[in-house]
Amino acid sequence: MALARAQNLSFTYPAATAPALRDVSVCLAPGQVTLVLGRSGSGKSTLLRAFAGLVPHFHGGHFCGRVDVAGLDTRKHNPARLAGTVATLFQDPEDQVVFTRVLNEVAFGLENVGTPAREIEARALEALVSVGAEHLSGRLVTELSGGELQRVCLAATLALEPKLLLLDEPTSQLDPEAAETLVELALRLARERGTAVLLTEQRPALPLEVCDRVLFLERGRLAFDGPVGQAWAWLEEHHPLFVSAGSDVGVHLHHPAEVACRLDQVSYAYEDHLLVLDGASLELGRGEVVALVGPNGSGKTTLAKLAAGLLEPLSGRVERQGRATYLSQDPGRYVFCERAADEVAVGVEGDSASAGRALAAVGLAGFDDRHPRDLSSGERERLALAAVLAPEPDLLVLDEPTRGVDPERKHELAALLRNDKARATLVVTHDIAFAKDVADRVVSLTRDRELAYA
Amino acid sequence: MRPAPAAALLFGLAAAALLARHTASVAVLAAGLLVVCLRAPASRRWPYLIGALGSALALFVLTPFVERLPGTVYWTGPTIPVVGTLDITSTELSGALFNACRLAAVSLAFAAYALWLDHDRLVQAAGFARRSVLAVALATRLVPALERDAAGLVEALRGRGVEPEGLRGRSRLVSPLLAGSLERSVNLAEAMEARGFGRPGATRLPQPEWGLRDRLALVGAVAAVVVGALWL
Repeated sequence: MALARAQNLSFTYPAATAPALRDVSVCLAPGQVTLVLGRSGSGKSTLLRAFAGLVPHFHGGHFCGRVDVAGLDTRKHNPARLAGTVATLFQDPEDQVVFTRVLNEVAFGLENVGTPAREIEARALEALVSVGAEHLSGRLVTELSGGELQRVCLAATLALEPKLLLLDEPTSQLDPEAAETLVELALRLARERGTAVLLTEQRPALPLEVCDRVLFLERGRLAFDGPVGQAWAWLEEHHPLFVSAGSDVGVHLHHPAEVACRLDQVSYAYEDHLLVLDGASLELGRGEVVALVGPNGSGKTTLAKLAAGLLEPLSGRVERQGRATYLSQDPGRYVFCERAADEVAVGVEGDSASAGRALAAVGLAGFDDRHPRDLSSGERERLALAAVLAPEPDLLVLDEPTRGVDPERKHELAALLRNDKARATLVVTHDIAFAKDVADRVVSLTRDRELAYA
Repeated sequence: MRPAPAAALLFGLAAAALLARHTASVAVLAAGLLVVCLRAPASRRWPYLIGALGSALALFVLTPFVERLPGTVYWTGPTIPVVGTLDITSTELSGALFNACRLAAVSLAFAAYALWLDHDRLVQAAGFARRSVLAVALATRLVPALERDAAGLVEALRGRGVEPEGLRGRSRLVSPLLAGSLERSVNLAEAMEARGFGRPGATRLPQPEWGLRDRLALVGAVAAVVVGALWL
């Protein structure tokens, strides 16, 4: 028997020209883990929001069809009423945290749904234990790493003991190890409790191994709905990049002629005086793409900022030939102008021709007059990439450029990065498949601040 | 100490600063609150101190130019249309100092509230108007979030090879900061609604009993208001 059901669901966001969902019909059974795949902007998050009642209650827009969860029609029951029956874990943990202490944060949902006061603390602690985060209960959320914070958010959703658990790219901020642990944990707990799970992911390799069923959305339409066994074959035929590491994207240049950036025995410490990097050395040659990988907290971003000249080393030397540009993590947040073309032209003193070329290179030709904040998250990330490509740098440094990017777009990005033979490119990434796809060299940074080369 | 009586005490001190009539009294209150703020971690206190002391200093500097009060004239400047002749008198200076101390005291009371109080417990202690208290607590957390966003924006500009220098360079951050904070607030509102916020019949974590220090703080808050109104 279905726990949740969407029938002929179509939805258009306010002021949008095209529907985000078109005639989608899906049934979710208790205990079943369903993976939703699709390109950026295909409607995955919207589908999850429809099951949470956030679409249409929170977002407004034009809603057709019907969604029921545990017998509750989402048109008649708002998200607050559905809370407890449905629980949602969003992409960015920082945007969902209400309180400053972990225990209070986990207790927040329990308080809202009217859990008897004497049970709240015990249930919150139990949820923290279930995700292995009981030691964090008294900590401030601001002190937690991304992985710890997402684990706390997972505990906050599980504490509600929902019948339907919605996971919207919950691992996009995490390194592969933390991501794997979180997905396995969420799915194990859900199965033990008979919870239906609807999960979206842009790194589908692990979820494809543990889910029961796969949905594939294309421009808001359900292009595939079937058991995971059939999904492999369908994906291999229609979207092979979702099930493989990708194919060759260009000539790999193993012997760069000229060094564009050299870091020689550099060390760095932030205000807490703990060394983040200690005597690291790295050379980046023109025409070469180097991927820098390693767990959270290993100093990858610091090394990247040193290479780009955003930080000065405590000791050691950094030599650069020509101009360097740097794309920070989560660049879609940092928007300055009201036109996409102006945004890209910030780094080239308003040169609209350079901006136009950069926009076209990232697949945003014709977006010149769009407001950057009206773009989808994937489009915003590409806009930010165009802004650092426009100055035609000698050294391009990208920090986590594939976060929230679908496998096909990643492949296009890899091809774009490999296309320039005059530029050195350093890519910081948790995405090992992307690193293999794009890089001539993969440099691994460990928590002991040691560099290993492959 | 529980956050509710601590907040009441800070409110009492701010009210006393507003009610007091002598500059020295207000200055002592501001100095005491400054000491409290200076005991907060250095990395967290500076935006609050800059905001509080900077605005007080600006008030002190600007007030004599816009007021026209009699007294010993220390300086006479040019004549400006509509405003008239600029001058600085002893009365204007003492008035400016008094108002600057008042503003500093009130701002520092807010800074102490933001830096020292456990906002979670304050929200949970709110017997009524919990939504309003939660809104204030979330707004208080906006300052460090804005600080992080500003750092991110500066980094994004520098990453494109643009150095945001000077007042004009920094001023281009204001609009994106505002837009970014609005976006954050919409995301948070969505997450809160998905977690049942606003549903009738909410309960709350049981709170610990009031102690002696809590009662003393409450008495101190009332005393500060009375003393400020009658004797300071």
